[in-house]
Amino acid sequence: MLKNPVLACILLVAGCFAFACCQWLVYVYAPLEATMGIAQKIFYIHLPLAWWALVSFFVVFLGSICYLLKRSPGFDRLCAAAAELGVLLSGLALVTGALWARKSWGIWWTWDPRLTTTLIMWFVYSGYLVLHGLEMPRQRKTVVCAVLGVVAFLDVPLVFISARIWRSVHPAVFAAGGGGLEPEMKLTVIACVFAFGVFWAGLLLLRMAQLELCARVQALRQGE
Amino acid sequence: MVRLIAAVVRKDLTLTLLRGNGLVQALLLGLLLFFVFSLSQGVGERASPQSAATVFWLSSTFCQVLIFSQIYALEEITNARFGLLLVPAPIQAVWLGKAIAGFCLLLLAQLVFLPAAIVFLGQTVSGALLPALLALLLVDTGMCALGSLIGALAQGQGTRESLMSIVFFPLLVPLLLAGIGVCSQTLGTESPDDADIWLRLACAFDAVFFGAGLLLFGFLYSGDD
Repeated sequence: MLKNPVLACILLVAGCFAFACCQWLVYVYAPLEATMGIAQKIFYIHLPLAWWALVSFFVVFLGSICYLLKRSPGFDRLCAAAAELGVLLSGLALVTGALWARKSWGIWWTWDPRLTTTLIMWFVYSGYLVLHGLEMPRQRKTVVCAVLGVVAFLDVPLVFISARIWRSVHPAVFAAGGGGLEPEMKLTVIACVFAFGVFWAGLLLLRMAQLELCARVQALRQGE
Repeated sequence: MVRLIAAVVRKDLTLTLLRGNGLVQALLLGLLLFFVFSLSQGVGERASPQSAATVFWLSSTFCQVLIFSQIYALEEITNARFGLLLVPAPIQAVWLGKAIAGFCLLLLAQLVFLPAAIVFLGQTVSGALLPALLALLLVDTGMCALGSLIGALAQGQGTRESLMSIVFFPLLVPLLLAGIGVCSQTLGTESPDDADIWLRLACAFDAVFFGAGLLLFGFLYSGDD
């Protein structure tokens, strides 16, 4: 129990340090993009946010399956922590994406597969968090949340495909033919993604430890 | 299992249609949506086919939320759910029975919504009718497969309609896009997309959520309250 907060703090500090170092890569090493200029630097925070939000939702999916099979409260706490992180990161990705879209395409919002999928996932997992906060028997609530965690992730590919059929304007970052990035930019964005991943893992473990403490306090209060 | 499915369908349709309130609340809400959206048009104007198709599917979705909220509430009043749980048949029969009952009720509601779209939003059918009918059946099937699962999920909650809406609406986006894409072509939108691609997407959605319903319903519909 006590190992988690210590490991979480180590990961958080390491993540912050690594991400601070990445700022040198972003502002000094990576070249300035010709058409967008300095505004293109949003991309180095936008992409890690979006990717780790997706990873968070995938963790909710896996944790939900494990909970339904094993019924261990630890998996429920993992799902709750990952869903909170996913909603936070996808919300920030949407804000940074809107800033990018305004500068790049002249509009705040457009019907694009990635933007749309992120928004729909934000809605679904916000609903998940509402459900998780409801007053209802704990056993029932955890099962209901686990089922929603599975169903929500099954919907992701369908949302993406449907939005792509509708219309798309997003640039290909890592396309089959090498994508649209300079090698320096690619290295910078990969470093940012890894640094943010360490920070994400620290936040996840810390939130899980908090939720575990909450559960223990509640159990003690019920025992009074 | 087939007998239990048929019994659940018969019970839910009888209780819903023969009661005073029945489908009236869902129909009124759908019709109100058509009327309110018609206010966005100027005098003598007609709504674009895509807007009309969007309002049609939006009304259907609201209607669907009320239908599944209602048919899952039927057993709550007298704790009759335990009776269904004790039936010696797979519990998935309840999910399928309620999905079929919801499908029938939704089709009935859409029979009223279609003329409403023509009257309030000034639409005419100028494209191929067969893809629109296929889309209607496929989209309704997916909506009912998911609606039956979400209805069980929200069961027992005082705020089940709002809870169902916030969970149900975003999950339904692919199906709604498919329905809007095909129906707006039937109402006259020139679209480069073939209706086939939307119909295939609706089929994929139906398959995924039929599988999910069969696998997950047993976890939701139990006596663990």
